[in-house]
Amino acid sequence: MAGLSPSEVCGIEKATKGVNVLSEGATPGVSVDSDLAEQNLLHWIINMHGAPGTLYEGEVFQLQFKFSNKYPFDSPEVTFVGNNIPIHPHVYSNGHICLSILTDDWSPALSVQSVCLSIVSMLSSCKEKQRPPDNAFYVKTCNKNPKKTKWWYHDDSGLKPTKKT
Amino acid sequence: MGDEGETPPGSISEDEPQVNQDELILAQQRQIEKEISESIPLVGDLEPISSLNNEYSTDPVYLDKVKDLSTKYQYVRRTRPDGNCFFRAFSYANIERLLEKKEEFSEFYKLAEDSKTALVELGFQQFTVEDFYDTYMEVLKRLRAIEDADEAKKELHTLFNTQGFSDYMVVYLRLLTSGQLQKDKDFYSCFIEGERTVSDFCHQEVEPMYKESDHIHIIAACAALCTGVKVIYMDRGTGKSCNEHDLPEGCTPTVHLLYRPGHYDILYP
Repeated sequence: MAGLSPSEVCGIEKATKGVNVLSEGATPGVSVDSDLAEQNLLHWIINMHGAPGTLYEGEVFQLQFKFSNKYPFDSPEVTFVGNNIPIHPHVYSNGHICLSILTDDWSPALSVQSVCLSIVSMLSSCKEKQRPPDNAFYVKTCNKNPKKTKWWYHDDSGLKPTKKT
Repeated sequence: MGDEGETPPGSISEDEPQVNQDELILAQQRQIEKEISESIPLVGDLEPISSLNNEYSTDPVYLDKVKDLSTKYQYVRRTRPDGNCFFRAFSYANIERLLEKKEEFSEFYKLAEDSKTALVELGFQQFTVEDFYDTYMEVLKRLRAIEDADEAKKELHTLFNTQGFSDYMVVYLRLLTSGQLQKDKDFYSCFIEGERTVSDFCHQEVEPMYKESDHIHIIAACAALCTGVKVIYMDRGTGKSCNEHDLPEGCTPTVHLLYRPGHYDILYP
């Protein structure tokens, strides 16, 4: 990395390592579309299978990851895309996900793999398939980029996604 | 409209409201962060203690405390208030003092060299820890290669003001701190409020960048680097002198930090 500071090379390099880790099938039920990732390292589509024994068994979802050049200091932008958006209290019908590690609790030491694991585990712990209570309002008013939503996490009611005044 | 599931996935209504509060709040936050990063270096130059007076020219409580501080310390080195100030200040000040003590530096280097294996054993993912470890070691290697202590200090200052290196140093110290907390989780769990486990706490308050540090971060960071810190507290509390605490209690502190509510800077006797 002669002449470059680590941040200038790391985003792409780390994303590349991530493709390899996922291609090796280290995370059950999760696979990356490696053709697409090879074309554009900063934009990935990941196929995610609902875990056996959960409400989502047999379903296949697509997750989109977009990386900025500040990755891994900036979190990736992660949304569900495609025809099948999981019905879940933390997933909006436009694919936005209310998950703290995607914004406030993001750490540069997290990886695509750990994000996928958190999302699989979020789906797996679901007891009743339903959309967030404010789904209709949120999807009408939000920005296309979920990172531009000010999410509210860690409250006991489980979900209080946005504060609109 | 309005029923769940009716909105086609992926399509977001174009008729956005005229004012989106979230975006305004976030835009303002970005603006503040930008102003801070443009006006305050990551780690500043040495300044006399009296430079603190400029901030408090009309505040007798603080002026008394600056006076008290000037009897014990000669210089202050400011760090950028971005939530990483403790980690950046501590890492910088600790390495800076070691540059004058070759033997201790070697021990510190050895400790750093072995630290990745320790983190991986604790369950950290090898390939995510690696980038930060490699940069951390590269900084230490570069400094070790410089014979003259003053020259090495200049290089340290340059590296810590290069965002790429400096933030990597911060991340790695955050990881070491998290590792220390998780290694001794029985002990540290007593200091965590609420229902959170030590590992939740690490994921939410230690590993993410820009999260501010509390006593528990400091004690664990000290344990991870095998050293101690003296923190001088300067606030609006009564009395003409500042309170001070050695962390961990009873240690011989090697690094001195000035704490003003929400922020740490480095002090020099």
